[in-house]
Formats: sequence, C-alpha cells, structure tokens
Amino acid sequence: MKYTHHTRFLIGCLLALILLPWLFHATDSSYLVSTFTRLIIFAIAAVSLDLLIGYTGLVSFGHAAFLGVGAYTVGILSFHAYEETTFLGLPGTLSGLTAIPLAVLLSALVALIIGALSLRTKGVYFIMITLSFGQMLFFLFVSLEQYGGDDGMMMFDGRNTLPGLDLNDRVEFYYFCLTWFTLFFLFCTRLVRSKFGRTLAAIRQNEDRLSSIGINEYWAKLQIFVIAGIGAGLAGALSANHTEFISPDITHWTRSGDLMIVVILGGMGTLIGPVLGTFLFLLLEEFLPLILHSFGFDLLSEHWRFVFGPILILVVLYAKSGLYGMIFRKGG
Amino acid sequence: MLKIQNLCKSFGAIKATDNVSLSIDQGTIHALIGPNGAGKTTLISQLSGYMQPNSGTITFNGFDLLTLPAHKRPHAGLVRSFQITSVFPELTVLDNICLVLQSMCGQAQSIFRMAKADLSERNEAQEILNRVGLGDKANSLTGNLSHGQKRQVEIAMALATKPKLLLLDEPMAGMGAEESRQIMTLLNTLRTSVTMLLVEHDMDVVFKLADKISVLVYGRVVASDTPENIRKNQDVQEAYLGGNELNPKVKRC
Repeated sequence: MKYTHHTRFLIGCLLALILLPWLFHATDSSYLVSTFTRLIIFAIAAVSLDLLIGYTGLVSFGHAAFLGVGAYTVGILSFHAYEETTFLGLPGTLSGLTAIPLAVLLSALVALIIGALSLRTKGVYFIMITLSFGQMLFFLFVSLEQYGGDDGMMMFDGRNTLPGLDLNDRVEFYYFCLTWFTLFFLFCTRLVRSKFGRTLAAIRQNEDRLSSIGINEYWAKLQIFVIAGIGAGLAGALSANHTEFISPDITHWTRSGDLMIVVILGGMGTLIGPVLGTFLFLLLEEFLPLILHSFGFDLLSEHWRFVFGPILILVVLYAKSGLYGMIFRKGG
Repeated sequence: MLKIQNLCKSFGAIKATDNVSLSIDQGTIHALIGPNGAGKTTLISQLSGYMQPNSGTITFNGFDLLTLPAHKRPHAGLVRSFQITSVFPELTVLDNICLVLQSMCGQAQSIFRMAKADLSERNEAQEILNRVGLGDKANSLTGNLSHGQKRQVEIAMALATKPKLLLLDEPMAGMGAEESRQIMTLLNTLRTSVTMLLVEHDMDVVFKLADKISVLVYGRVVASDTPENIRKNQDVQEAYLGGNELNPKVKRC
C-alpha cells in the first residue's frame, strides 16, 4: 500500500520535472530551467550522501570533496583543451564521453583513498577526519595557481560536447541532468533493497555485531563510501558543466554542511527525502530574498538568512523524519 | 578440536585470563563456569576475535586461530553468541536471520540480489526460527520483542551460521522458564552435530548438558573435569561459597 503510494508520488514528480521546461517556456520564464538544473544536480549529491548518513549511519562531513574532484576534472580538461597545452603529457578535451567518465572514475579513486583512511575511525572522529580531508582538498584546489587559485577558472569553450546532444542548449542540458538523476535514483532504490542494503542497515543498527556473523564491515563501508563518492563526483562534473565555472568554493566545508542539512531536512534514510530537502533548501535560498522584498521587509530581505535559519530549524523540530515524514507518515 | 594453551590477557594490573590452557573435544558440550568477573566473557571474546590475547596460542582444528580476523572466524565454523543481547532491532526477526545466511553465502555485499526476493533464503531462515520457537514472530521488528525472545533470536542467528564450534555466552540468561527449557532441548539435539562451549550460571542446565566442566576463578582454570568430579571438587566449592575471598589462594595481581 505504502509502496504504491511512493511509486505514484515519484512518477508524478518525474512527470512534473519532465514537463517543467514547457511550463517555463509557456510562462516566458525560461531562466528557471537553469535553476532547476542546479536543483537536480545538487539532489544527486544529496541522495549519494544519504546513502552514507541515512542508510549506513556514517556521518561524512566532507562529501563536497568529491563534488570538487568531479568538477575540477572536467574543468582542468577543458582548460587544457582551450589552451592547447597538455596535463602530465596528456591533452585536454571537451569531449563529454571522456571528461565525465574520467571525473566519475577519479572521484571513485579519491573516495577509495579517503574512505580507506577515514573508515578506520568511528563516530565523532569519523566526522572530523572526513571534514579534514574535505578541507585538504579545498586548500589543494586553492593552491592550483595555474587553474585560477581561489578565484577559480572559467570553461571558455563552453560545456562538454556529446554526439547528438548540445549541452550548451539550456533545455537539452536540463534533460541530460534529469536523465542522470533518474538513473542514479533508480540505482539507489535497487541498492537499498538489495542484500547489500540489508548489510548497510545492519551496520547502522549494530556495527559491532557484524564480524561475529562473518561480515567484514570495513569493506562494506568502504564499498558504500566509494559508491557515494561516485554519485557526488557525477554531480560535480555536471555542476562544472552547468556553471561553466569551477572554483574551490565547491569543496568548501560549508558546501558539505549544506548537503548534510539538506539530507536531514528532507528525511534521513529515505531516498525521496534528500531530493525534497534539496528543492526546499535551494528554492528558499533563491527566492526567499525576493519573497521578503515583495512583502516590503527590505531589511530582512537583505539578511534573508535570518528567516531561512528558523524555517529550517522548525522543519527539523516539528516534522519527524523531515519533509518526507510530513508527506508520507501523516496519511499512514 | 579447540586447543587453548597458556593464554594470558590482562587489563592493567588485572589478569582477566591467567595462563589458561583448555581443550575442547569434538562432539562434546564443554561448560565454563565461575563466579562473576572470573573472565568467562573475556575468554569467549578472545576465541571469537573480539579481543587479542597478550600471549598464548589458540588452535582450531590444528589451525592457528590468532592469525584469523574476527569476521573470518564464523566462516571457519567458529561462532559466538552474546551474553548481552546484540541483535538488529530495526530489522524483522526474519531479516536478522537472512542477514546471517547471506553473509555465510558470501552475498553480504551483493548489490544486484534483492533482499526480499531470495525465497530459498527466507524459507531457510523461517525453518531456523521454527526450531528455536520463534516461528510466529518472523515478521515482527526485532526491537519489539521481549527480552527472552531477543535471546532466542540471538541463538537462532548463531545457528544460522551452521557452526562447527559454538561459543554460547549465557544463552539462557533472561529467558523465561518455558523458553529456557525449549533452548535446552534444542542444544541437546544439536550436540551430535555441533561442539559447544557453554558459559552458563544456571547449574541445572550446566550439569544436565555438559560432558565436561571447567571452572574459572580470577582468570585461572581451577578445575576441568567431568560433572561428577566437579561436583565433589573442594576448590570449586570454595570458589562458589566464597572461601577464596576469606583465604585467598589466588593472587589477584
């Protein structure tokens, strides 16, 4: 019963997202397509983080690191293609068929290294060590003078190229991102219902018991950490393409914090939750100043975070399991 | 089957395991008794790999156990249950057992096998639950069970690994009389196929089930013999009657 309820909701949401560009076109507000592209990209990262926080109980505070790896891979390749120089003897490229898979692969690799080290710790120490790794990458990117240092760099040649698809077209890029989002979401849906998903639930509930039933919980955690890193790396690669601008800000710890807020706001341990959380969070961030302004609260409009913060706190306090709980638990 | 030699483990000045040597023969139920704080659970933890001893050796079927990490020991046939109930409260009872079964088939990290779709696994889990008397609770959340029922889940999980040697750390503690009897009958029927090391405070259970009893006091094995001889043993009586506290034979430091 609850299952069909979910499926119907999801199909409804997907249809709405598919139809959005037409709606915006009809209402002459096509710029909103770009806003929603951003939402969808961020939602991929949020869902991937929830695999760690909500499903496995691993509170990773450095998830933006993988966004950065994905984004910088695309950016650096594009930079060398524009300059017609080489990187470690390899030429740059704008080809999406090379850049995006490479971005994902490198994110996986970085996740493997960070995970292998961080997962030796637990609890608060794990939070702190993932935070430190995130900040290490942040300062690494700041130090890359060639690629703009802390000012970041532009993708002067525009977005990646793909056969049969023009990513520089706003609407085509939107659908490109929506496709990846849908694929990743479906993959996660399967993942959490798989046998591995059950192992993850067991890790969350009673980690110390696993070795006595023959499960190596370290490998299981490393595996999910890499999968989550892949999700965030994909989001990073798409994000670089979206803004055509890459700066270290994408790996800053506040970005990891935003991702965590979104997951908690939407409802941990659900896949829909982080998506809902992303939409509320980013839409409020985008439109709250305008809304406040239109009501004549000019001072508040300037300091819109003053209103934003309490709204988030109220949702977390009064909606059990976040926005997800608000929508799905009431009807029973 | 299991041979412990000169095993030592200390926490600061306290010797929790003090030069313990024991051997457990295949096909027997070997009971381990002793007053609180004697180091019974510490010994089990070293056998199951949750703790590393300071010195000494443990061999299992002629194989050096100490080189084997804890999570590989169940696959070798050495499985423990916990004195303090340790289950997965937000999974159903059936899923607790299925989790063990998937682990034993090496499918704990399988992304492409759906958890609820493996019917043979679920049937096997149901059968194990029937055996420990929890058949009708299969679909309850484990966290909602009574304490005694969680103890039964604990035993069912241990059985699901199809152990060769089962380390049972006070399996009946906190169970009602009815469940306790049921588990005792079950352990009795298992004795032909599973070797057991049984830590238990209920002397009725111990003397009914055990082929051999070892008594642990302050980390030392003070006696290891058949139930009849243990019953007559002077040292054991002193340990249980508190004699050693008035006239300490065993130094603590």
